[in-house]
Amino acid sequence: MAIHEDEKLDEMLKARRIQAANPDLAQRIILKAQNTPQIEVFSLGRWLREAFAELHLPNPAYVLAGTLIMGFVIGLNVPSETPTDNVDILQVQSFLDSDEGIL
Amino acid sequence: MSLPWPEKDDQQLLALIQDGSQEAFSVLVQRHTERFYRLAFRYLHNKETAEDVVQDAFVKLWEDPGKWQAERKNKFTTWFYRIVVNLCLDWQKKKKPLELGDQELSIADQRETPDAEMLRNEKQEVLEKEIAALPERQRTALNLCFDEGLSNQEAAEVMGLKLKALQSLVMRAKSTLKERMRNYL
Repeated sequence: MAIHEDEKLDEMLKARRIQAANPDLAQRIILKAQNTPQIEVFSLGRWLREAFAELHLPNPAYVLAGTLIMGFVIGLNVPSETPTDNVDILQVQSFLDSDEGIL
Repeated sequence: MSLPWPEKDDQQLLALIQDGSQEAFSVLVQRHTERFYRLAFRYLHNKETAEDVVQDAFVKLWEDPGKWQAERKNKFTTWFYRIVVNLCLDWQKKKKPLELGDQELSIADQRETPDAEMLRNEKQEVLEKEIAALPERQRTALNLCFDEGLSNQEAAEVMGLKLKALQSLVMRAKSTLKERMRNYL
């Protein structure tokens, strides 16, 4: 009996009717949104696109900037210590040593 | 190559809406208006009000698309059901209690005798009144599970509940309705 009542209630719940919306509801919402300004969301992609759109540099400027950046990167990758530094230190040391021998 | 508009999923459309795309917004609205209207109607029992609430929800999304945060890994529909339910509840708090009975819900079945049709309409009307009288959370659980055909898990996510809690709400709602609708079962 209880199972029968459960089934009947489920049937009634599933058969609830609804008054259909106006067919133009979606269109109405779209039109309303078109007249509503959007609060801007910060997005890195959008910001970069806008920044590049506003930055009208001639092509040689980009080439120059690229070359400078490449030079900078290559410069950073070359070791700053050269073998000649060590040679100089050794020469000075041996000169001093030879002086001490004479004295 | 990018997908045609109707093939983009909700997440992709929302990302485009956040970039100001009205086309993406149109596709999203056309895809989901009907289902959110159905839910709003279940709460408000009035076509115009339900339409206004759905419109309000979508326009708010357009105005401030940053409210949607993809990184939270929610489905758009789960998140938006919650928004529509909250708007319906706000509306109900502001307005006087629902007047049921003057809706054009009944579509006469040609094969039914006038008596059978009258009984069916009466049953339907009583059921709607009893559902409207249920506690808010039980009503929401029932609407989401039966009308929207959401799984219990999805309905629980919309309501921010654990699955067990949702199941218990549905069970309590059904047992109250069974008790009150005894004469019609």
